[in-house]
Amino acid sequence: MTMDSMTDTDLPPMAGKPRDLGPPIVVIQNVQKAFGSNHVLRDVSLTVRTGEVVVIAGRSGSGKSTLLRCIDHLETIDGGSITACGNLMGYRRDTGGKLIPLGDGKVARQRREMGMVFQSFNLFPHLSVLKNITLSPVKIMGESPAKAEAHARELLARVGLPDKADAYPAQLSGGQQQRVAIARALAMRPKVMLFDEPTSALDPEMISEVLDVMTDLSRQGMTMIVVTHEMGFARAAADRVLLMHGGEIVEEAPPEEFFTNPKSEHTRLFLSKIL
Amino acid sequence: MEFSWEHFFRFLFGEYMLTGVWTTLWLACVAMLLGCTLGVVVAFMKMSRYWAPRQFANLFIWVWRGTPLLVQMVIIYTVLPLFGLKLGVISSAILALSLHEAAYFAEIVRSGILSVNKGQTDASLALGMTWPQRMRYVILPQATRIIIPPLGNQFTLMIKTTSIASVISMEELFRRTQQLAQFEFRVLEAYLGAACWYLLMTTVWGEIQKRLEAHYDRPFGPLSDDDGKKPERPVTGDAAAQV
Repeated sequence: MTMDSMTDTDLPPMAGKPRDLGPPIVVIQNVQKAFGSNHVLRDVSLTVRTGEVVVIAGRSGSGKSTLLRCIDHLETIDGGSITACGNLMGYRRDTGGKLIPLGDGKVARQRREMGMVFQSFNLFPHLSVLKNITLSPVKIMGESPAKAEAHARELLARVGLPDKADAYPAQLSGGQQQRVAIARALAMRPKVMLFDEPTSALDPEMISEVLDVMTDLSRQGMTMIVVTHEMGFARAAADRVLLMHGGEIVEEAPPEEFFTNPKSEHTRLFLSKIL
Repeated sequence: MEFSWEHFFRFLFGEYMLTGVWTTLWLACVAMLLGCTLGVVVAFMKMSRYWAPRQFANLFIWVWRGTPLLVQMVIIYTVLPLFGLKLGVISSAILALSLHEAAYFAEIVRSGILSVNKGQTDASLALGMTWPQRMRYVILPQATRIIIPPLGNQFTLMIKTTSIASVISMEELFRRTQQLAQFEFRVLEAYLGAACWYLLMTTVWGEIQKRLEAHYDRPFGPLSDDDGKKPERPVTGDAAAQV
């Protein structure tokens, strides 16, 4: 199904969780993506509004991570378009409306509007926690080191790690590393946060510390697109839950409806396996 | 003829041999610096997405790794003048040694860069870094840690390999030793002296290398204990993801 024609009134109701959603901030239109002969995204469309939390679920290989990576243009797309924070991600239109790929520097500038958190944390192992967080604000955005450090310490407190500023990633547990990664992404003051299976690499006892930070973030009005299997988080924090299957969005509903009254057979099958 | 300690020490600390040691040392350093710089350039050419620089790098590495340094040096010194390019002994030695080094170092740099986890590129892209920023702040600092051990080995080799410059009459440690041995017909004493100097240079460098490695390893885990045993590193990054 596509959401191309979606207007405000078509948006799912926020049952029991009224939220003020702003204008669309991520608009995905008819995106196609193939790796060789493997068609991973088939005509995917999705509109995410400012302040909205969208959870994307699905089996591995369903295209959910690829979709997320396409939003940040970590993968190129073969068709359609993605607009995020007002930027046509990775491309510009020539006068005839054709899409022309942008150069490295221009795409880099587009990505600075969004934060991304990865399954494998990807902290910079040669830098302390503080330097991990301040690297981009100072070296790329030109913030003053003092201001960036103050902001970093504030963020570390927010993710519950106020005393880890001088530690190196190797000295932290997985859950701590992921929380630092979230702080690092937030340091760029992103308008949208993308989470790519943020808890899949964690031991069970560390999952909740990361989810708690994410839930807090959603309560503070951050726009979030989260690829995850954590249905508890979806229930608690999501405005909408999507299910991807075979490169398509096959279900899309507010959490209550998604869990209690799914329309798609795929969703029923997925829920029976995961819950 | 009996071994003469007197000759041995006279050679060992004599000005003639010491000058040779000094020549060997600066020749090795200059060739290494030039070779590594050129090697980095060749490495990036080989990783280029364009065909021409990639093929040039392949050709360069193929030729300079596939032929003996001895042949390269003689060609540069004696054959190039036939084509109008006349280089002196010192320039020829430096040129041959550094081109030879560049071919090896290019592959070391390339494999160092490629061995940095792909996730590091993802993370730096997502933080809005351009290619030069990713290289400078994220990829190269991590590649350095991987490059330093083989780089150190290359320098140890370089200290010893400079002796090949003796064939084009460069007055480094080996050639001076040969001359000493011939002047006074004290072969064993002279070469034993040279061996001592080579060993001293490579040993001192080995110590420096150890410290460099420890320095670049520091963020990745606690420093070595006094007994020299390394505590196991905590699991991090992708390694953790795969557990």
